[in-house]
Amino acid sequence: MKGNVIKYQRDNIDTDVIIPGPYLKIHDYHELAKHAMEGLDKDFHSKVKEGDFIVAGRNFGCGSSREHAPIALAYSGIKAVLAVSFARIFYRNAVDGAFLLPIEIDDSTYNNISDKDSLEINTEKNEIKNLTKNQTYKMKPFSELIGKIIAAGGLFNYKP
Amino acid sequence: MPKTLFDKIWDSHVIVEQKNGPTLLYVDRHLVHEVTSPQAFDGLRINKRKVRRPDLTFATMDHNVPTSDRSLPIIDQISARQIQVLEKNCKDFDIQLFDINSPNQGIVHVIGPELGITLPGTTIVCGDSHTSTHGAFGALAFGIGTSDVEHVLATQCIWMEKLKTFEIKIEGKRKNKHAVTAKDIILSIIRHIGTAGGAGTVIEYSGETISDLTMEQRMTICNMSIEGGARAGLIAPDEKTFEYLKGRKYTPKNYDDLVDYWSENLKSDPGAHFDKIFTLHVDTISPQVSWGTNPAMTTDVTGIVPFPEEYAKGNLDEEKSAIKALQYMDLKPGTPITDISIDRVFIGSCTNSRLEDLIEVSKVVKRKKVSPKVRAMIVPGSQLVKKQAEELGLDKIFKEANFEWRESGCSMCLGMNPDILAAGERCASTSNRNFEGRQGAGGRTHLVSPVMAAAAALAGHFVDVRELDLN
Repeated sequence: MKGNVIKYQRDNIDTDVIIPGPYLKIHDYHELAKHAMEGLDKDFHSKVKEGDFIVAGRNFGCGSSREHAPIALAYSGIKAVLAVSFARIFYRNAVDGAFLLPIEIDDSTYNNISDKDSLEINTEKNEIKNLTKNQTYKMKPFSELIGKIIAAGGLFNYKP
Repeated sequence: MPKTLFDKIWDSHVIVEQKNGPTLLYVDRHLVHEVTSPQAFDGLRINKRKVRRPDLTFATMDHNVPTSDRSLPIIDQISARQIQVLEKNCKDFDIQLFDINSPNQGIVHVIGPELGITLPGTTIVCGDSHTSTHGAFGALAFGIGTSDVEHVLATQCIWMEKLKTFEIKIEGKRKNKHAVTAKDIILSIIRHIGTAGGAGTVIEYSGETISDLTMEQRMTICNMSIEGGARAGLIAPDEKTFEYLKGRKYTPKNYDDLVDYWSENLKSDPGAHFDKIFTLHVDTISPQVSWGTNPAMTTDVTGIVPFPEEYAKGNLDEEKSAIKALQYMDLKPGTPITDISIDRVFIGSCTNSRLEDLIEVSKVVKRKKVSPKVRAMIVPGSQLVKKQAEELGLDKIFKEANFEWRESGCSMCLGMNPDILAAGERCASTSNRNFEGRQGAGGRTHLVSPVMAAAAALAGHFVDVRELDLN
């Protein structure tokens, strides 16, 4: 999986900035995606490209249980969010619907990756290659449940 | 081996357990609202599935219902549509719905307990992160996303990884219980543990202060567990819990037998292991006011807007966050909290919209007037709360003081209905999140207790509510 980075040097990116409350009434996911990250970055919709990754700090996705948050990002083209840590409901929502991969990285990886860097993520080797900087980082492996749900392509396809 | 309360509830709901793998848990109660359920019902239809246990599923509309005159049509067509969709879904799938005209309509986390749907020792899920509220009754209750909502509708089960346990002991006696409230206790806790301090855990609150709190106050504490990063909050049930639930609409008929079982079983064993422990002493805590853009960015009402460098204690990311937060909030470091002027007051939300909250507010505002530069609204948590408040004459006190007295719903907590802040407006709010734009794009939220919000409405700025006569 290859893509370019949109980096937010920020902790606690909450669900209200990922998709502000008033848009939760929108039923069409493509329409919803037009408002992704609007609370934090008004230019997000114009700059995001299919296959991009978001890189951010601690506690990404804190706040509401709205699945609209990973959905809005996924329908914007985001394939993975790489963060130092995730709020648990966001994390679970991201994989339940097979919307995007929530990937946990350590502090030095977070600091080494810059905005617009090109990355290649290999979840089998738990490895992230920074093609721009010619560096390789480790990602935290998925737990057994999360790995299986991801492999199955979402919660409804998962069989124990 | 001694077990925690969480272990006991978890163990009694396991359907399938795998070594080092996920657990399939049974769900006793599923609460549904209009915002996070439509896609889940669509999923059922596409796959030709039924709702497994409609009798254990309860729905209401709270997030985007207007809080103005209910006899008028809903102007926002998208909200109206979302509400109609829930009505249709509940009809098609035979689910009990407390609709906009029901005497039982209200915020899902207010009506669950008041109808006796919430019971000790049960598992409760809802597509809403503040489901943690129900933990005040010794229920394992947590928020889920829409895919899990669909899964629970279809199966009445949920796949979970076992959560870790976090004991928060709250000890000591508050000098002024009316001024230093449950809200101030939970804000103090979040201020200490941080917004991710409870990540991956269930918090069990215990100690002398917890025993001393009423059920409604305990709900305020458990409600904001999620703001400390925890999935759920728990308080072992006691006589107050059993008394509260007695004789409610859905309280089971064999209630006395259940109480016997609950009192014997629903508590952590002495010596049970918790993965994390924190103790808060309440003797010296002050009324709290948030100054930033997450609930941990909170300080004493007697304090000042912090200097980012001091606040961050050497953590550069924290310092940057604080600088950004102060920019957004338009606050200067060093400003005394009591010098911060406000434009709006919102008393409501699943954190603080229950009868006791409103009674406390009425003590502050009786025979007084809201500052002419402030617009203040009170939004009761449910139609039942509204009715009870009106029976006590509270509505008259509020209206005479120039508060708007509105219909029940989530309202300005999350700005999904017409109750929103305009850009740049500053609000004293009894809700749970001060995230950027939460109450309206560009709106600035200060999280406070109902008493603080009421006092700020009158004065036009924050005041040390310990100086008021609240008895």
